[in-house]
Amino acid sequence: MRSGYFKQTFEELIVLTDSPTVKAWTALLVLALLVAPLVVGSYMLSHMTVILYTLVGVLGLTILTGFTGLISLGHVAFMMIGAYAYAIAITRFGWTPLPAMLLAGIVPAVFGLVVGLPSLRLQGLYLAITTLAFSYIINAIVLSGGKFTGASRGISLVRPVIFGLDLNVDRNFYWFCLAIATIVLLATLNLRRSYIGRALVAIRDNDIAARTMGINLWRYKLLAFVLSAFITGIAGSLMGMYINYVTVEGFPFLISIEALAIIIVGGIGSVLGAVLGTVFIVSLPDVISAVLGVFGAQTNDLLTRMAFEVKSALYGLAIIAFLRFDPRGLRGIWHDLRHAWVHWPQRF
Amino acid sequence: MMYVVELILTGLAVGAIYGLVAMAFAVIYKATGIVNFAQGELGMLTAYASWSLAVTLGTGAILTVLIAVVAGAIFGLLAERLVMRPMLGEPLLSVVLVTVGLAVVLRSIVMLVWGPSPKTLELPGADTIVSVFEVGIRTSQLSVIALLLVSLISFWAFLRFSRFGMAMRAVAADERTARLMGISTARVQAVAWALSSALAGLAGVFFAVVYGLSPTIFELGLKAFPATVLGGFDSILGSGGSGLAIGVIENLVGGYLPSTLKEIAGFLVILVVLMVRPFGLFGEKRIERV
Repeated sequence: MRSGYFKQTFEELIVLTDSPTVKAWTALLVLALLVAPLVVGSYMLSHMTVILYTLVGVLGLTILTGFTGLISLGHVAFMMIGAYAYAIAITRFGWTPLPAMLLAGIVPAVFGLVVGLPSLRLQGLYLAITTLAFSYIINAIVLSGGKFTGASRGISLVRPVIFGLDLNVDRNFYWFCLAIATIVLLATLNLRRSYIGRALVAIRDNDIAARTMGINLWRYKLLAFVLSAFITGIAGSLMGMYINYVTVEGFPFLISIEALAIIIVGGIGSVLGAVLGTVFIVSLPDVISAVLGVFGAQTNDLLTRMAFEVKSALYGLAIIAFLRFDPRGLRGIWHDLRHAWVHWPQRF
Repeated sequence: MMYVVELILTGLAVGAIYGLVAMAFAVIYKATGIVNFAQGELGMLTAYASWSLAVTLGTGAILTVLIAVVAGAIFGLLAERLVMRPMLGEPLLSVVLVTVGLAVVLRSIVMLVWGPSPKTLELPGADTIVSVFEVGIRTSQLSVIALLLVSLISFWAFLRFSRFGMAMRAVAADERTARLMGISTARVQAVAWALSSALAGLAGVFFAVVYGLSPTIFELGLKAFPATVLGGFDSILGSGGSGLAIGVIENLVGGYLPSTLKEIAGFLVILVVLMVRPFGLFGEKRIERV
């Protein structure tokens, strides 16, 4: 006699969800996201677009820092390389958009391989500093690239037409970002539950123990770097397309911090956390300015004048507060809420 | 020949500033096992606070330096007590990321309070030119080199002979055993933060005197990373000494090669060093067991 609900096959164990309710809600969410541009205003639409391409980049960092536990403080460099690879392929080589986007993934992946190599010899913090050094070196290389990279002037871009979809229309660009974000999201979710994903998590938890279990550290650490850089590079090309311009100033060090803040606030090592964290952090400045707007024009003036500083202070405070009070992040809060919802009025 | 001597001398001066920050990194790493990514920002905050005090009170050179030391120690204690102490016992990754968060917050606070425009910190007698090996150098630059040497020696003596220095070394060697022997790790951590911020504050003030005070001064922390890595994070004296080496290398590269290379010369050096010795030149190799 069955005394409870058991998972009897391996497929049942690793399936993304077995709950019809979750499937129904997900379908509803996807539908809502698809029709959203027809309903919401242009400001909200651009906000959602930013969330989507940020999510792509954050998923890239999730693979490296969240799954594999390798801290990267230079992730913005991969983003910048992706954006520049795309821009150079389009403007200098005259490529069509789709191969150029592929290149925007491949070039950072190759760089990921280069940065990944020392990661096999360096422990934790030394690696974080190496990635930091890497991002500064890339900055210097791009700035001294002369006509090829446009040096400090950068490269201006025109949004392309892909699959008959004119991306100059904000609505179309939103759908394009939504499609890419969905593909990357599914890829990351599936990666996590495959052999590779489990190997990466084993390395995060204890690399020496993972090695004794027969996981090739070389291969999997490098793979994590390559995959992460590939996805982040794609996000970079999307960002370049969105702001129509690729410059070194467009990719400040703050982006690396923002990405770290997102995965910490969301909950380290979780794809759901990455999604929740992205929505939270990207919306944070807007929410704060809306709240401060109530207090009058003076505070609002401060906010517009010192937007960059206020924003970075908020990221920092969010990082500290979440690590201090709830290291599980938004994902943990979400689980608690869901638990309370399902089991109410019982407490367990 | 003159040119080389000049490059080396000014390199030593900027290297001494890097060395002070690098020592600050190493003090915290040695006592608590974490890298404090907010080190440059603590130095920045101290430099700005000392600037405000020096301008309003009109203090002399020596008094300003003393103010910087005290202010740095106070900021360090505050940061430790408010932000780091609650994180005791949390995973390493979380603690380090908290310092990253702290760095971002401090940077914004400085920008919000003091604004983005650059300032000059002028102290009487700091800009007097002294001739060394027939090359003119400012007294402030000479004194920062001297100060680094003094700090190196006093830290060596402190760690070697004083009771508290020994406690710090004990905590660094094995935290749990140190606690069993009755050493308060919390107090060691507090003192380490105070000492390291005082060092970073010194570096910040001297940087402000020699090169001017602007919001990019936090990059001192980034620039000192190569020195700390070169010397090894767990070697306070090695880090201080490597600061001089990095400063000279940077200046020589800047003098003879394209200027973009100067910015990243230190980072290129450590990439090579880490490839060969992943724990720094003077760091201890750690044996890990599962």
